[in-house]
Amino acid sequence: MADENILSDDLLRQLISVGEVDILVGLPTYNHAKTIGHVVQVIRDGLLTYFPRERVAILNPDGGSQDGTPDLVRAASIDDARNADTFRTLRTLHCVSSQYASSPSAGQALHIVMASADLLRARACAVIAPESSDILPDWIDRLLTPIYREHFDFVAPVYRRHRFEGILVTNLLYPMTRALYGKRIREPRPGEFGFSDRLAAELVESDLWRHDAGRLGPEVCITMATLSDGLRVSQTFLGAKGHLEQQSSDLVTALRQTVGPLFWSMEQNGAAWTGIHEVQAVPTTGPEYEVTAGAVSVDRKRLHQMFCSGVVDLEPVLRSILSPTTLAQLQASATLEDDKFHFTDELWVRAVYEFATSYHRSVINRDHILQALAPLYRGRAYAYLTENSTASPEDLEERIEALCLTFERLKPYLLELWSAKERDS
Amino acid sequence: MPLASDALWYQDAVIYQVHVRAMYDSNGDGIGDFRGLAQKLDYLKDLGINAIWLMPFFPSPLRDDGYDISDYTSVHPNYGTLDDFKFFLAAARERNIRVIIELVLNHTSDQHPWFQESRSSRDNPRRDWYVWSDTDTRYRGTRIIFLDTEMSNWAWDPISKAYYWHRFFSHQPDLNYDNPAVRQEMWKVMKFWLDLGVDGFRLDAVPYLVEREGTSCENLPETHAVIKELRRRLDESYPGRLLLAEANQWPADLRAYFGDGDEFHMAFNFPLMPRMFMGLKLEDRKPITEILQQTPPIPEGCQWCLFLRNHDELTLEMVTDMERDYMYDEYAHDKGMRLNLGIRRRLAPLLDNDRRRIELMNGMLLSLPGTPVIYYGDEIGMGDNIYLGDRNGVRTPMQWDGGWNAGFSAADPESLYEALIMNPVYGYQAVNVQSQRRFEHSLLSWMHRIVQVRKSTPTFGRGSIEFLYPQNHRVLAYLRQLDRETVLVVNNLSASAQAVELDLSRFKGNILVEMFSRNIFPRVADLPYLLTLGAYQFYWFRLRRI
Repeated sequence: MADENILSDDLLRQLISVGEVDILVGLPTYNHAKTIGHVVQVIRDGLLTYFPRERVAILNPDGGSQDGTPDLVRAASIDDARNADTFRTLRTLHCVSSQYASSPSAGQALHIVMASADLLRARACAVIAPESSDILPDWIDRLLTPIYREHFDFVAPVYRRHRFEGILVTNLLYPMTRALYGKRIREPRPGEFGFSDRLAAELVESDLWRHDAGRLGPEVCITMATLSDGLRVSQTFLGAKGHLEQQSSDLVTALRQTVGPLFWSMEQNGAAWTGIHEVQAVPTTGPEYEVTAGAVSVDRKRLHQMFCSGVVDLEPVLRSILSPTTLAQLQASATLEDDKFHFTDELWVRAVYEFATSYHRSVINRDHILQALAPLYRGRAYAYLTENSTASPEDLEERIEALCLTFERLKPYLLELWSAKERDS
Repeated sequence: MPLASDALWYQDAVIYQVHVRAMYDSNGDGIGDFRGLAQKLDYLKDLGINAIWLMPFFPSPLRDDGYDISDYTSVHPNYGTLDDFKFFLAAARERNIRVIIELVLNHTSDQHPWFQESRSSRDNPRRDWYVWSDTDTRYRGTRIIFLDTEMSNWAWDPISKAYYWHRFFSHQPDLNYDNPAVRQEMWKVMKFWLDLGVDGFRLDAVPYLVEREGTSCENLPETHAVIKELRRRLDESYPGRLLLAEANQWPADLRAYFGDGDEFHMAFNFPLMPRMFMGLKLEDRKPITEILQQTPPIPEGCQWCLFLRNHDELTLEMVTDMERDYMYDEYAHDKGMRLNLGIRRRLAPLLDNDRRRIELMNGMLLSLPGTPVIYYGDEIGMGDNIYLGDRNGVRTPMQWDGGWNAGFSAADPESLYEALIMNPVYGYQAVNVQSQRRFEHSLLSWMHRIVQVRKSTPTFGRGSIEFLYPQNHRVLAYLRQLDRETVLVVNNLSASAQAVELDLSRFKGNILVEMFSRNIFPRVADLPYLLTLGAYQFYWFRLRRI
C-alpha cells in the first residue's frame, strides 16, 4: 500500500489538464446513476451561482460503477468542446471522473479527493454524498464560503432530521466527540463537509488511510483530526438529509464506520483530547432547521430482544471489555420486562467509555469489540425510543443535552481508565 | 508588388492605427502633422506594417477628437494642408504602405455648413439632410451610446425650434440617409479621396445610418442598402479599394455587414477583443473559443479586422453583464479607468506592463483569423493617463526618445496638444523608440520580429482556422491552414507552466518547425503530442512532412 500511487495515471493526466483551482468538489460514487445526475447538476448550479469567477472543478472518484455513473458526472462539464450554453459562465468547469478500484472504498475515495485538492492547490474543497437528493445549490455556498472567504479549515454540516433518526449520532458520536474535544460538532460523521487546503495538505500524508478506521470511516477520522489539531471549525445548517444510518446495510457495519474510527482516533489524538476540559460552541451559519416530528418505523420489540439475547450470548466477550459493575448493571437490565426497562445515561456512558478503553487496550480483537457494542447500542436505542416516544423536538434536544453533560461529567472516569492502561503498558 | 495589383491585399496587411496629430510635429506648433507623419514612414516600414489607418484629420471643432467633421474634403489646418496630405500619401506609396482614411458617415459636426443651413429654416433645401422632429418621443427603442454624457438621442435646437437626432454627442447631428441627396453627397466625398489615391475607408458608426420607428435603429436593412450602394459604386470605379466597418455589434449582426460579399470587405471583430483579455485574466480559453464558435463564416474575400486596443475605450458593449462586471473588476478597479461601457486604457497598463502577457496577446492578435491592427505606441508599450478627460488618455504624443518632448515636437511642452506621459514606469524617458531600437530584446524589436514571421506566410492572413480542444483549458491551440500549408499555434493563457497533449494524429509523420527560431521539434507519432509551455508562452509551428 505504501508504495502504491494514490492517483492513477489516468486521473493524473486529467488533473494536469484541470490545473490549479480555487475550489474543488469531491463526489465519490459507486453505482449512483439514479441520483448522481441531479446531484452534480445542483453542485454545478451552486458553483456557478456562488463562485462564478473562481476556478472550480468537480472530482468524481468512482468505485467501479457499472451503471454509467461516471458518464453522468462528466456530462456536467462546461467547456468549449461541448458547446454548452456557456455564455452564462465565465470559465471552463471540469467534471473529472476516474475509477480507482473495482469495488468502492470510502477511505480510498476521500484520500484521492484530498490528494487531488493538495495537488491542485485548491483553497477550499467540499465533499458531497452522491445520494444527497435533497441537495440545494446553497449547500455549496454554506460548505465552501466559510473556508474560501473566512479562512475556516473545516465546515461540518447540521442536518434537519426526523427526531428519531441518527440515534447513533445523538447518543454516541456527538456527545462523545463533544466531551473528548470540547467542540459541539453535531455531525462528527458528515455526509457532506468542507475543508481547507491546509487540512488537505496535512491529511493527505496522514497514516489514517492505511488503517481500517481510515478506510471504513474516513469522515470521522477527518473530523477528529481537525478537532485535535486545533484548526478553525464551523458548522452550517444544510437542511434535510434522509435516512443517514440506512446507508449502512447493518448496524455492525455502521459501528465499524463510525465508532471504530472514533475509538481509533482517540489513540492517535490522545495528547489533544486528554487535556481538554471545557466545551465550546462552534460558529454555526445558515438558517436553523427544526427537527421534524412524525412517526418512525422501528421494530422496538426486536431491539429489546436483541439487547437481551446479546448480553446473554456475548457474556464472555463483554466480561473482557466491561468492568464488573457495568456488566452487572447491563445484565440486570436485560432481565427487565419491556415496561420496566431502563438504560440510564450514566450506564450508557460508562459502557461506551469502557469499550473505548478496551479498544485501546486491544483486550480482544478490535473488530469483535465493535461487534459486541451492537447489542448494547440496541438496548440504548430501545430505551431512548421508549422513553421519548411522546417527547417534543425541544424535549428531545434537552435529553440529548443532558446526555452530553453526562459524557462530560464522566470524562475523568475515561481518563482514569485510559491512564491506567498507559500505566499498564 | 505594385500597389493595387492584388485585390485581396487587405487580407495580408498588418495595419498601424495612428492619429496624425500624435505621431510627429514637423513645424513646432505642438501638434503632429502630415509632414511629420511622412518623416516617420520609414519607422513604420521598418516595423513591418504595410497599411496605415488614419483617424479623422478633417476640419473640425474638435469637440470629439475629429469625429465631428465640419468639412469632408479638406485637411484640418492643425495637421497641414491638402498638399501636405498628398505629399504624405505619395511618400507612403513609395514605401508600399497603403493608406486607409476614416470617414464618419453617420453624423457631422453641428458646425458643418450643411447643418447650419439645415437648422436655419424648415424650408431650407438642406433641411431634410438631418433627422428632425417636433417631439423627442420618436424612436424610443433606441439605446443611448454615450451614457455618461447624453440623456437622450434627441437634442433641442433653439434656432429651428425642433429636435434633431444624434446617436453620439449632441453636437454631432445624424445625417438623414433616407435622403438620396445625402447618399450622393457622401459618395462624392469618398470619390474625392479615392481620386487622390487613398486605399480605403474605415467607415465609422455604420450601424446607425438609418432610423425606423419601432426598431432599435441599428443594423436596419435600409442601412445595409446604403452600404451596398456605396460598395457597388466603389467596385465599379475603384476596384481594389477597401471598405472597413466599425460596427460594434454581436457576431450575427456584425456578420451582416459583409452581406453576400457586397458590403464591407472587412469589419472589426468587436466581440472577440474583450474576450481575449477575459481569457487571459481567467486563464481559460473558453471566452475566446466560444465567441469564435458563434461567429458565422464570412463570404469569400472578406476579412475580420482584429485589434487589441485602439483610440476608444476597450468596449464592453458586446459582453454579458457578468462578463462586464468581471472585466471592470479585473482591468479597471479604479473608476477613473472606466468610460461609458468600457475601459479607457492602453495595452501595456491593462496587462500590468507584463512583457510576457503583452507578447502573448500580440501573438494571438497576429495569428487568429483576420487582419491585425496595431495601435500607435503599443509596439513600444506606451502608457496612458487616466486623469485626462474622455479618451484623451490613450491619445498622447508618440514617444520617440528621452529628450525634449519625447522627440515628438520642438514646441514648448505647454503647447503640446496633449501632455506627455511622464511617470517613472511609462514616461517617455523610460519608454521610447530610440532606447528600444538599441536592444535586440526590446518590445519594439520583438514586435518587428513577430510581424516578419507573420508575413512569412499568407496562411495567417488567408488560411482557415480549426480549434483543437486539448483537455487543458488554459491552452488555446488552433490550426491555420492554407492550401498545403499548416501552422499550429499553441498559447498558454496561464501565469504558470502548463503541459498539454494535442491530438495531431492526422499529421502523423510531420515534424514541427518552430517559426521564430526554425528549431525542429519531435515528429508527430501515434501518441498525443505532448508540449510544455512556460507562463504565457506561445508557439507557432509550421508542420512539415519531411
